[in-house]
Amino acid sequence: MTAFASALGSGLKRVFDLKVRGIRVVEIVGVVLVAVLVLSVYVAKAAAARQSASIAALEREIAETDARVRLLRAEAARLESPARLEALSRQAGLAPADAAQVVPEARLPELAEPAPVVVLPEGEVTR
Amino acid sequence: MSVQDPRFDLYRRAAAPALAPLWRRMVHSIWSIEHAFERARADARPEEDTRVRISLVFLLFSAVFVLLAAGATWAALFRGEVPRFSGGAAALARGDLTDRNGQLLAANIPHYAVYIDPTEVWDRDHAMREIRRALPRIPAERLARVLQGDRRLIVATGLTPTERRRLHALGLGGLSFEPEDRRVYPLGSSAAHLIGFADTGGRGVAGAELAFDDAVRAAGASGGSVPLSIDLRVQGVVEAELRQAVEDSQAEAGVAMVVDASTGEVLGMASYPTFDPAHRDRASAGATLNRAVSAHYEMGSVFKSFVVAAGLETGAADVNTLFDASDPLMIGRRRIADFHAQNRVMTLEEVFLHSSNIGTSRLAIDMGPEVMRDFYDRFGLLRAAPIELKESAAPVLPRNWSDSTLASLSFGYAIMITPAQMAAATAALVNGGIYRPLSLRRGGAGVEGRRVLSERTSATMRDLMRANVLRGSGARADAPGLRVGGKTGSANKLVDGRYDPAQAIGTFAGVFPADGAADARRYVVFVLIDEPGSFPRTGGFVAAPAVGRIADRIAPFVQVERRFDPAPVAVAEAQP
Repeated sequence: MTAFASALGSGLKRVFDLKVRGIRVVEIVGVVLVAVLVLSVYVAKAAAARQSASIAALEREIAETDARVRLLRAEAARLESPARLEALSRQAGLAPADAAQVVPEARLPELAEPAPVVVLPEGEVTR
Repeated sequence: MSVQDPRFDLYRRAAAPALAPLWRRMVHSIWSIEHAFERARADARPEEDTRVRISLVFLLFSAVFVLLAAGATWAALFRGEVPRFSGGAAALARGDLTDRNGQLLAANIPHYAVYIDPTEVWDRDHAMREIRRALPRIPAERLARVLQGDRRLIVATGLTPTERRRLHALGLGGLSFEPEDRRVYPLGSSAAHLIGFADTGGRGVAGAELAFDDAVRAAGASGGSVPLSIDLRVQGVVEAELRQAVEDSQAEAGVAMVVDASTGEVLGMASYPTFDPAHRDRASAGATLNRAVSAHYEMGSVFKSFVVAAGLETGAADVNTLFDASDPLMIGRRRIADFHAQNRVMTLEEVFLHSSNIGTSRLAIDMGPEVMRDFYDRFGLLRAAPIELKESAAPVLPRNWSDSTLASLSFGYAIMITPAQMAAATAALVNGGIYRPLSLRRGGAGVEGRRVLSERTSATMRDLMRANVLRGSGARADAPGLRVGGKTGSANKLVDGRYDPAQAIGTFAGVFPADGAADARRYVVFVLIDEPGSFPRTGGFVAAPAVGRIADRIAPFVQVERRFDPAPVAVAEAQP
């Protein structure tokens, strides 16, 4: 166990002491890692800013659409106002349906006109 | 010098008495750390102790970074959603008011206020001309004052998005817009009394806006709406027919109501004359008064229904009981006669159908003041109509309950009530005998109601009311196949201490369908015409036709099926 620890320690020391042109490799790797990290943070923050701007634009659009929907609903309510529709209907010569013009569904067959009688050339009669 | 230098010990000894034990320990610790390297060098173990210090610093930084990482992870995963993206409806000062089917009655719509900073306007005369041309409603005087000024000021409020676009399109410098939430009533004068209005601060001032102020504000915060009990289709019919009835009878004013007798829900409520809530300042005198709940009237013979019902309920009479109406009734020096005098002995049914003042006066006097007061109280005639509207007014009651007053009360004089009271009382009369508060809430007030009549008496009253339309004074209220029942009422108004026959009230309290089981769905239609100018001025002529037309037109909306009556049968014969 002690031998393994000693071997590991000396191995790590060799890696730690490894140098390129007088600079430790470990330090070069660390600097590269830090550069990569800085770059990724910058990219991530830039992307997040873009997303935030996009979300803000969408929220603005939703708010505007919502306001427009409300406005259109109010306009539809004004146009469909019973008082206005009745005035327009009366101007067009329309009037409320008379009770005689309304029948329950069950009485519909009674109102059906008989199908026209057709006489075929051969003298056969069909309906 | 080393850490073993006796001067340190001297320092320790000198400082010790002056410092408290805690400070002494702290100073000692800091001193010990600061001189650890020197101590280690003195102990010939400099390399080892430097590593220890580096390790300690490393561990400290590691711990800080681990803590920061854990904090960031916790914030990201477990702190809940950061409310950055709402995605839903924006909060408003007030929610929408809708009818029972979701049709819009009132809403908050974004408007804009326009400001002008004259220091940024290049050509003020040109700006004046262009703004006036784009939006003539901006007062010229105000606009000129702002343009000639030297600081940014408001010019106009309540600009619609279209108006804002029109101004913006001018491309003038110095113009800016600020959004403002504004209450709009898209139906104009329709249902204006019932909906009421809110002030610019977003508080309800009248009508449902005031009655449901808290609910409307809560709905605004959550982007919801408050549904009322009214059905806009029914409301439209009620308003149109009331206007027609007022015009036909050349009357001053009128009231019409439709109430679901089973739940107390108000499906339609109209008061004429009406007004546009957007231009309240231009409303004619008295137009903003909701006569359905705020105006008192002596309503005349519609009260006979309650006296007859009390007589039947207490057993003081049945439909066959005879009343002598062959001569006017004398109470002291007061002479009570019939408007449609039959000059004969009549059954209670005939008293009702011929609207005999003599007959109902005799019945009221027979029952006495306690019974009369009890039944008028049961029907809610002695207190303000229970409805959410804050405008609901208390009735004007008689000062005493003498025989003469009882006679007057029996045919609708000596007591002034609101139409809402009458509608609620009529509903209790015909719905099987349960008095329920009126409600503008969809689904009703949500209270059980109280029994004021037996189902049997209520059924008899429905039969009598139907007979009154078939063979009595209410014939003009009939609608094909809808089995309308009701009672007419006519009264002269008290003017300068005298009842003036030239100033009358005509009323009709109707129900349809009047047949069917006690708990069947039926609707009370009440119409009151104030000061009709045409003749005759009685309820059977000025109000009953409007009730018939309202029933005829709203029947499809409230799903009442038309069914034609069998041959007329006298109520007395139909009773077991």
